[in-house]
Amino acid sequence: MENWERCKQKKIETAESLETAIEVEHVTMAFRRAKDEATSIKELLVRTVRRQHRYETFQALDDVSFRVGKGEVAGIIGTNGSGKSTVLKIISGALIPTSGRVKVDRSKVQLLTLGTGFDPELTGRENVYLNGALIGYTKQYIDEKYDQIVRFAELEGFMEERVRNYSSGMVSRLGFAIATVRDTPEILILDEVLSVGDLFFRKKSEARIREMIHGGSTVLLVSHSTSVIRSNCSMAVWIEKGRLRAVGDPKEVCDAYENM
Amino acid sequence: MTQLQQKRQYAFVIRQLTARELKRRYTRSYLGVIWSVLNPLLSMVVLSLIFSQLFRRSIENYPIYYLTGYILWQTFTGATTSAMTALVDNKTLLIKVKFPMELFVLTKAYTALVNLAYSLVAYVIMLLFFRIAPAWSMLVAPVIVLGLFLFALGLSYILAVAYVFFGDVKHLYTVALTLWMYCSAIFYPADQLQGLIRIVIQLNPIYTFIHCLRQAVMQGQFPAGSQLLQMFLWGVGMYLVGHLVFRKSKNRMMQKL
Repeated sequence: MENWERCKQKKIETAESLETAIEVEHVTMAFRRAKDEATSIKELLVRTVRRQHRYETFQALDDVSFRVGKGEVAGIIGTNGSGKSTVLKIISGALIPTSGRVKVDRSKVQLLTLGTGFDPELTGRENVYLNGALIGYTKQYIDEKYDQIVRFAELEGFMEERVRNYSSGMVSRLGFAIATVRDTPEILILDEVLSVGDLFFRKKSEARIREMIHGGSTVLLVSHSTSVIRSNCSMAVWIEKGRLRAVGDPKEVCDAYENM
Repeated sequence: MTQLQQKRQYAFVIRQLTARELKRRYTRSYLGVIWSVLNPLLSMVVLSLIFSQLFRRSIENYPIYYLTGYILWQTFTGATTSAMTALVDNKTLLIKVKFPMELFVLTKAYTALVNLAYSLVAYVIMLLFFRIAPAWSMLVAPVIVLGLFLFALGLSYILAVAYVFFGDVKHLYTVALTLWMYCSAIFYPADQLQGLIRIVIQLNPIYTFIHCLRQAVMQGQFPAGSQLLQMFLWGVGMYLVGHLVFRKSKNRMMQKL
């Protein structure tokens, strides 16, 4: 009887893992850029009069489609300026694509960013509250987790000090501690944040990131490093110059990327 | 997250950003936030030294006359000029955070309002000093401030959008503000003017706000129905227009930023 229950449980789990968490359908993103754009009203007037408006469209993404199943860890790879960040912005809802659409439950998406809105003139404590508020923590939540954040960042005794006087390692430790104190959201987006701080802290931060990645949530991870993607991801997406080059097994995709 | 929780979270974000704004402003000064009280006082002293002789006949209690105009004007300019650059200054933040961009503009306007609260300390001290009798009509002040706030907020939205596309707006607006200030009768009596300029001043919404507050505080007079209506229409109208403009250009702004 118990066995049967467990069996059923397992079946439900596999069924769930096949569910789609993020579906990107034929997404095209075109930015219209005026050629040497008018940055002043005078210029604009002169050009309007002379009818010198020339535009060029820049395709940041061109008909990109892929889907990420629930619980998968997807790595996005590609050279600089190939449109990786644009994909993330569209998935998180910061940009609306020119055409195509993204099916995802936005309320579950969390972008992990470090030190958002840190202000050097404020103290460590004030920055925890400011940064926490910006990334969506409530006041009670920060009150509750405050000690844990300080302990993880190893900044006991420095919190009333202005961040201006921190070393860069201390700043990134604090940023990391705030960003990762939360329970892992259902859909987590990571943009190159895998290692911060000195050697000792790096181990700790990598361990925490692993814990988040493999905690059962759907993860979207952007990286230049194929080794990061090989060792962490269950699928990989390669985007090059706005076009989708390959989707699938991380090893195969990374091999193809390296042999480009 | 429910609607209410979300609203509460937004309020928390605005409070945090405002706190940052205020702390940063006075970060290197010893007197800190006391400057928000001292500034209007000093400005009042200077202007009174120069002009109270000149306008002795036409304005009784010149310092209060000036101070009333000054604090409202400062709130208005403080809100609009800082809100104008709010989006561009917070560019990197905007892309990363999940809450609506409006909050950045709202924060700047709210900061100006908090600053007004500090200035009011100076104002009340001066009212006591010049023995202005408290009157029931003073209770209308929050309504006037609310109207001014909505008006400033609406204009802030429009300026913030404009600034994203054209950096020039900043310089243009500085010039416009100077002109606007002279048309708001802050340090001279408005009823001495005749003709076109008089009409301009009376149509000027900022003057209406200032004038009503002066009446309420100095003469103990409630604003007339038509004045209330005027303030209401300017405030709500500007807010709605500003908000609409902002919403319509949101996506284009994101691309531009």
